[in-house]
Amino acid sequence: MKVINMFAAVALLVFAAAAAAAPSAQEQAQRQMQQPFNNAPVWGEVRSGEAQSTTMRGIETGVLIQPGGQTWRELRNGPIVLYGGILLCVVLAAIVVYYARRGTLRLKEPETGRKLVRFDMVDRVTHWVAAVSFCLLGITGLTLLFGKHLLLPLLGYEAFSWLAAIGKNIHNFTGPIFLLSIVVMFAAYVKDNFWQAADAEWIAHAGGLVRGEHVPSHRFNFGEKVWFWLGVSGLGLVVSLSGFVLDFPNFEQGRFVMQAANVVHVVGAVLFLAMSFGHIYMGTVGVAGAYEAMRDGTVDESWAKEHHELWVREARAAGAGAQGAPQDAKPRAV
Amino acid sequence: MARMKFLCDAERCIECNGCVTACKNEHDVPWGVNRRRVVTLNDGVPGERSVSVACMHCSDAPCIAVCPVDCIYHTEEGVVLHDKDLCIGCGYCFYACPFGAPQFPQAGAFGMRGKMDKCTFCAGGPEVDGSEEEFRKYGRNRLAEGKLPICAEMCATKALLGGDSDVISDIFRKRATMRGGGAQLIGWATAYGRQERAQERKGAGEGGK
Repeated sequence: MKVINMFAAVALLVFAAAAAAAPSAQEQAQRQMQQPFNNAPVWGEVRSGEAQSTTMRGIETGVLIQPGGQTWRELRNGPIVLYGGILLCVVLAAIVVYYARRGTLRLKEPETGRKLVRFDMVDRVTHWVAAVSFCLLGITGLTLLFGKHLLLPLLGYEAFSWLAAIGKNIHNFTGPIFLLSIVVMFAAYVKDNFWQAADAEWIAHAGGLVRGEHVPSHRFNFGEKVWFWLGVSGLGLVVSLSGFVLDFPNFEQGRFVMQAANVVHVVGAVLFLAMSFGHIYMGTVGVAGAYEAMRDGTVDESWAKEHHELWVREARAAGAGAQGAPQDAKPRAV
Repeated sequence: MARMKFLCDAERCIECNGCVTACKNEHDVPWGVNRRRVVTLNDGVPGERSVSVACMHCSDAPCIAVCPVDCIYHTEEGVVLHDKDLCIGCGYCFYACPFGAPQFPQAGAFGMRGKMDKCTFCAGGPEVDGSEEEFRKYGRNRLAEGKLPICAEMCATKALLGGDSDVISDIFRKRATMRGGGAQLIGWATAYGRQERAQERKGAGEGGK
């Protein structure tokens, strides 16, 4: 319900800009004949946000009143901060509860000592560039969004202002690095992220997340694919591009464009962060061996069989050169 | 305590930009920033109106509501001021303000924003009143000297009024009631009924003229 309200407000923001046009000039000219001191047509249109005449140079200096800011303020200070905050807290809490009940997912079989190459150097470098810049962006972005309510009372004005200023600069300079990293990442990872028949089974068993049963999957399971398409590629692009509109205010974009971009940016970023919590959990304490896979690029054969059975089989069958298969198909000791 | 306000009388503003120039001169406003500007509505059409606009020192100021470091505040007189030492140049106040009052001098490549600058109602900033530091960051503090904003004081037609809300509202109210007649202001039809009926009356030889 509230979400619908939010979308309605965004739609209003869009229509408000479209419905400018001024028949008021003609109307005023006519009115002037009969009622010289009646300016109703002028004032009736004054909040349209339409550019009028001014000698002042600059972007939108001819706009007397830009009404979009009010909508932006209401969205940002209202539902975005409130529901965004609730969403992040709920996701974090859910992960903590899940971890408390299930603990780390460990291997059932002992390690074989034979290592398979899961991520090559390009995979790992792009992942970590994206990961580090994502964390920097996330922390500094959250500081700007929630800091006034959470950190300012603790740190005081001066210290928080320093933190926010440093945060803003880190955010603005890291943004372009993040976009670059996800573009490379898309190219590096996309080949193993298309739909495969095994994904249906994964969905049917909810990935074994609920009952903990084994669900075979290819190099990436369906959960990882969702993170790849919706998270990294989808939200990554939406948040990066809307961020660029805000990061580079030197292209004469008006306030409406920036207000809309900011709403898209913040909503997208909050969803992105919520999804990332799941990914980070799985990649660290959630699944034993997952972090080492991305750190060293290799996984133990037992780990590969238990988590990505089809990937191991495929690789063996395909022999050398199969893309996305364990390095050169042959499980290799490292 | 007085509640400070600006009021621009659109019937009097002649778009001379005297207020704009006075403001720039008084405060050594940073390059690229105009704390005040004059906008002409329906320029060139009969009935055009000009309005001088700057920070309106709103009671429910959007800039204050959205500033992430809370550096914008109300003085006891209702003037909206900000602390440039705390400002991080994020631009949120500029997104939120309907009047385009907050502006940012460029601080680096790609339009990187410096510290926000806006009209101070000639009331300086959080620094010691009349100090060198205050002038450098915010311009002159005329209120502390017992004077009103220079833009309003300089206005040749007294279109722009700045000061205690009660006083300037009274001035404007008096003007509005003296200005033109009822028929001119609200129209013949509204004041005396529809024109045809008036003509009927005229035809019956009731009215003069």
